[in-house]
Amino acid sequence: MDDELQQFEAELKQLRPVTPSRELKLRIEAELTASAGESAENPRPFWWAWIALPAVMATAAALALVVFMSSPVSAPPTGAPAVAVSPGGPAFKPVSAENVLLEAKDEGLVTLADGSAARRVRQSYIDTIVWKDPAGRASLRWSVPRQEERVVPVVFQ
Amino acid sequence: MTLLRQTTHPQPMEDVPAHDSWKTWFELYGPKLLLCARQWTRSAADAEDAVQEGFVRYWRHQRSLGGEPLPLLITSVRRAALDLARRDARRTAREQRAEADADGVVPVFATPLAGDERRAAIESALRRLPPEQRDVLVLKIWGELTFEQIAAQLGLSPNTAASRYRYALAALRQEMSVADCHG
Repeated sequence: MDDELQQFEAELKQLRPVTPSRELKLRIEAELTASAGESAENPRPFWWAWIALPAVMATAAALALVVFMSSPVSAPPTGAPAVAVSPGGPAFKPVSAENVLLEAKDEGLVTLADGSAARRVRQSYIDTIVWKDPAGRASLRWSVPRQEERVVPVVFQ
Repeated sequence: MTLLRQTTHPQPMEDVPAHDSWKTWFELYGPKLLLCARQWTRSAADAEDAVQEGFVRYWRHQRSLGGEPLPLLITSVRRAALDLARRDARRTAREQRAEADADGVVPVFATPLAGDERRAAIESALRRLPPEQRDVLVLKIWGELTFEQIAAQLGLSPNTAASRYRYALAALRQEMSVADCHG
């Protein structure tokens, strides 16, 4: 990059993004407080988790084998297939974590313990986390289905 | 089995300040997340929705993963922005809100020392950049991600991310020059 472009880049870096509004903080606070206090979020396993689990285990085993095969022959571990924790082995670090929303079902109105009305929404996700070894090319991808139940307070006007 | 247990409990890999409250994290990362979200949504209000959803998802499900929080937070917010765009039921309201700030009345940067006009000119030029260049520029400069992290985020090679960044900088400077010439 030429000097002029570098100066321009430096100018851009001086710009500070605006601070999120107070309303946004309050909304986040309300959502986090609600889930902590009322267990509004209630992850449950669902039937196809049992189908996905063998696939996840098979993938993990295959990746473990690849990592194991690519590690130096001079350091044979005795017995344990410890890939991520062996002191001289690859140090995996998480590089991405995604929650892909597959489906959201509105299950209608429910009455909470305090008598107030709320809407129950059931959401199905696939959570995928990828770890990588910064020193090598090995990576590990872990996907698991998750179901979340959210209870959203309803205000009638 | 050992491997599976490790992957589901990755906490020891990095030192994450687990005792921090979400407010501390939000003070630190909120402005950057909002700016990034603004690139993937049609209105400032939608960007706030995406930040809320992405941040809450991260805080509940991914905080314990360890590693650098910002790339994971940005991924979570980006995913929330994409989910938001897919929700047809909210389309009409969203489009109305997009129209409301289509003229750029909602600033994305705090006013720098050089003055509000310069800030407004940069924001305007930024909006005119091709989205694929703008994404890389925002993630690099204000998201403070590496080219490798940007590449992982956008599904590119690191070299492509780096070259898009250079093109974006040059294009933005060009836009600014044109704006300066026209007063």
